[in-house]
Amino acid sequence: MSASDPTVIFEPLRFRALEVKNRVFRSSLAGRFNNYDGTGNQAHVNWDLKFARGGVGAIISSNAPVHPRGLIVPNYAHIDRDETVPFWREVVRRVHEHDCKYLVQLAFSGRQRDLGGIQFEKGWSSTDKPEPVHGLRCERMTVDQIHDLVGCFAQGARRAREAGADGVEVHGCNGYLITSFLSPAINTRKDEYGGSLENRARFALEIVRAIRAEVGADYHLQFKISAVDYGRDLIPWAAKGTMLDESIQVCRWLEEAGVDAFHISSGSSFPHPRNPAGGFPVKDVVRGYDTMISSGRHTFRNYLLFRFWPFNRVFKWAWERTAKGRVEGINLADCRAIKQAVSVPVLCTGGFQTASVVAAAIARGDCDGVTIARPLIANPNLVELWRAGHDVPPRPCTYSNKCLINQLENPLGCYDQSRFDSREAMIAEILSVYEPPQFT
Amino acid sequence: MSDPVFTPLRFRNLEVANRIFRSSIAGRFDGWDGSGQQTRINWEVRFARAGVGGIVSAWCGVDRRGLIVPGYAAIERDGRIPFWRELGKRVHEHGAKYLLQLAHAGRQRDIPGIEFRTGLSSTGKSDPLHGFEAERATSAQLEEITRAFAAAARRAREAGLDGVEIHGANGYLFTQFLSSAINDRKDEYGGALENRARLLIETVRAVRESVGDDFHLQVKISATERANAFLFWLRRGNTIADSVQVSRWLEEAGADAIHISAGSTFPHPLNPAGGLPLREVRDNYDGLISSGVHAFRNYLLYRTPLVNRLMQRRWERPASSVEGANLADARAIKEAVGIPVLCTGGFQTASVVRAALERGDCDAVTIARPLIANPDLLELWRAGHDQPPRPCSYCNKCLFNLLEHPLACYDERRFESREAMLEQAYAVFDPPPFASLM
Repeated sequence: MSASDPTVIFEPLRFRALEVKNRVFRSSLAGRFNNYDGTGNQAHVNWDLKFARGGVGAIISSNAPVHPRGLIVPNYAHIDRDETVPFWREVVRRVHEHDCKYLVQLAFSGRQRDLGGIQFEKGWSSTDKPEPVHGLRCERMTVDQIHDLVGCFAQGARRAREAGADGVEVHGCNGYLITSFLSPAINTRKDEYGGSLENRARFALEIVRAIRAEVGADYHLQFKISAVDYGRDLIPWAAKGTMLDESIQVCRWLEEAGVDAFHISSGSSFPHPRNPAGGFPVKDVVRGYDTMISSGRHTFRNYLLFRFWPFNRVFKWAWERTAKGRVEGINLADCRAIKQAVSVPVLCTGGFQTASVVAAAIARGDCDGVTIARPLIANPNLVELWRAGHDVPPRPCTYSNKCLINQLENPLGCYDQSRFDSREAMIAEILSVYEPPQFT
Repeated sequence: MSDPVFTPLRFRNLEVANRIFRSSIAGRFDGWDGSGQQTRINWEVRFARAGVGGIVSAWCGVDRRGLIVPGYAAIERDGRIPFWRELGKRVHEHGAKYLLQLAHAGRQRDIPGIEFRTGLSSTGKSDPLHGFEAERATSAQLEEITRAFAAAARRAREAGLDGVEIHGANGYLFTQFLSSAINDRKDEYGGALENRARLLIETVRAVRESVGDDFHLQVKISATERANAFLFWLRRGNTIADSVQVSRWLEEAGADAIHISAGSTFPHPLNPAGGLPLREVRDNYDGLISSGVHAFRNYLLYRTPLVNRLMQRRWERPASSVEGANLADARAIKEAVGIPVLCTGGFQTASVVRAALERGDCDAVTIARPLIANPDLLELWRAGHDQPPRPCSYCNKCLFNLLEHPLACYDERRFESREAMLEQAYAVFDPPPFASLM
C-alpha cells in the first residue's frame, strides 16, 4: 500500500465510545439559518443533510452556544435551554438516516462576538480588554460566572445526548472564550484562572470534567484546540500567544480529564490568516463587513481600511502572505506533534480536498482523520468524488473565503462564481438549502 | 348606542368583526429566501388573539426581483402556499380575517440580496435618498409583473386567505409609476396621471380576473406623496386631487376597498410619522451601506454630530400630530368613492377612532406601531381606557431595529426594565419550530 493509497480514508475510525465509518468529518461551520433567539429552523436541517448525503463519516455541528451570551452572531442554533432539544433531535434523526454520526459543538464566543445582538451589550472573557481587531468590548468574568458557565457546558452536553447526538465537541480554539483563558496573549487574570499554564488551562479542564460527570463515561467527548496561537501572523508586534509545547501539555491534561479525541486548528482569533487560510476577498468584505460597523470600537476604522485603496491592498497582502501556497494541511505538523503526545485519536482541519494528501497524512500518522469545512461547501459530495477516483474535485475549493464573509448577510454557500457555469447556477446552489421549506 | 369601533364592517366580499385592522408590518422572521417560518405565525397570531377584526399581512413579495429585504415571507411561487395556509388557519382560529399584502419593491430594495443588482422601476434613476439602483422596466417586464400579482393573488385564495391588498403606496413599485416626482417615462406608462396609473389599474384588473368576482381585493395608496418632505430639492409628487382620481379608477377596475397611507418613500417623514432615533439609525443603517450608492454618505452624515441633529429635525414630526394625520385625505377619498376606505396613521386613542368613524372620515382604521406597543389595545379600549396606560411614543425604534433585530417595541421607557423589554421582543419565538417533537 503506497503512502497515498486513498483506501485508508474509507476505513472506519474507532474512538473509545464511538465508531465513524470513514476518516472524513464535516468540520463546524455555521450559517445564519436559524431564528434570532437561537431556535433552530428547517434550513439548518437541510444544510447538514447535504453533507450526510455526500458521504462524510460524521458531522460536527455549527457553533452551538451553551448560553445566550455566548453567541457569535444571531441566528445560529443554540443548545442553551431544554426547549432547543427537539430541534437537535430532528437534525440528528435526519443525519442518521444517511449512516452519518453527529457531534454537537458546544461553544461560547467570549469577547469575539461579531454581531452581539441586543440581549447583552458586552461579551464575557478572561479579560476586560477589548478584542484587538474589531474592538469588541467585553467584561472580565467573575469566578462565580466561570463556575456557572462550566455548568452550562455540562448541561449543553446533556441536551446533546438527550437529542440523540453521538457526541460533543468542546470548542476550545480560534479566539473564542476558552482560547481567551488558554492564551497568555489574552488572559490577564491574576487569580486561579490566569498566570501559569496550569491556571490558564483550569477553565477548559473544569468544563471537560463537568461534562464527563454529567454525560457519563460512555459518551464521546472531543476537544478542539488551537495548537499554536500564531499571534504575530497579522500584526508582527503583537504577542505570540500559546506555543506548541504548551498545547501539548494542555492536551495531556485534557486526556487525563476524560477527552476521547482532539481536533487541531490554529490561531488566536477567528478569522485568522491561518484559519480559514486563504484569500481576503476585498469586494465581498466591503459588502459584508458594513453590517459589523456597530459592533466594535475599531470596526468603522476597519471598514474604511477595507473600502479604500491602497489600504485594502496592503491589508490583503498582509492577510494572505502567511498561508500562501500551503493552505491544504497547514496544521499537519502541529497536529503530528500533539498526536505523538497523546494516545487518543487526533483530527486535523485545514483546507483538505486532495485524497492523496489526506491519505498520506493518515498513513504518516499526522492525524487519524480530517475535518473539512470550505472544500465541502464547494463540493458536498467530496467523499464520493474521492471514492470515484478523483484525487481533487474537478472544481476544487479556491479558498477564496467568500463563503465566510458572505454568511453575515447572505445564506452560507460557495460564492466563488468562477466555480460555476453562471451566476444563476451559483445562486441556485446557494438557495437550495431552503428546500424543502418548513411547511410543505 | 353601540360603539362604532366594535361594529362589524361589510365589504362586498368580506365581513370583519370590528373596525380595527392590524396594518402591514413585517420583521425579518422568515427564511432568507422568502420561505415562511413558525415565528411569522407566532407574530400574526398575537394580533388575532388580541381581537383585531382583520390582519393585513407583512409586506409580501410577488416576484423575486421585487423583494425588499431578505427574511420576509414571499408568495412568488406555488411552493409558498402551504405556509400561508397554515398561517391563515391559525389566525382564523381567533376569528380574525387575514389579507395578504401583495407587493413589489421596484427600486426601493433596502437590502437587495444577491440575486439582482438593480431593481425594476418606472425610471432608470436610482432613488435619491439611499441611491438604490434601478433599471427602467420594459413593457414586457411590466406585463410579467402584472402576471406575477395575478398569480400571487390566486395563491392567496388557494391558501384559504380572506383577501388581498395590492401595495400601491409608500414608494414601492406602484408609487414609482404613480408619482409625478419619480416617473420619467415617455411611453403609455408615464406622463399624464392616466398613464402613470396604468400599471396599477392593469394589475387590479388582472388580479380580479385571476381570483374571480367574489374575493376581497383592496388597494393601498399614498394619498399625499410630499416627495420633497425630506430632500427639499425634489418635486412634490402627487397630491390628494390626483389620488382621488386614482381611487375612482381603482373602484371601476374592481377594488373592494381603498387603504390610505402617505409618503413617496418608506420610511418617510409622514409615514411612519414620529421620531428619527439617531442611535438606532446609526447602529442599524450600517448594514445598508452596501445597498445604495448614497448610503455610505448617509451613514457618515448620521454619525456626524450637529448634521445628524439637523437631519433629525427635518425628519421628525411631533408625537401630538401623528395620530390620524391621514384622516383628511381619507375623507376626501371616501367622499369620491362608493367602497369602504381604511385609514392608517398612529391610531391608539379610542375617542379619536370613534370620532373618525362617526364623522365618516373612514370605515375602519389600520394600526401598526401602537399594536406592537400594546397588542391588547382593543381589550384596553373595551375596558374603558381611552388610551393605553403606556401608549406608543412613535419613537420609531421598532422600525430601525427590525433590520438587525426581532421586530418589537424598543422604547425602553415603556417597560419596567430593559429585561422586560427584551422578554417582550423574544416572546415572538415561542413556540419554536419543532416544538411538537418535544
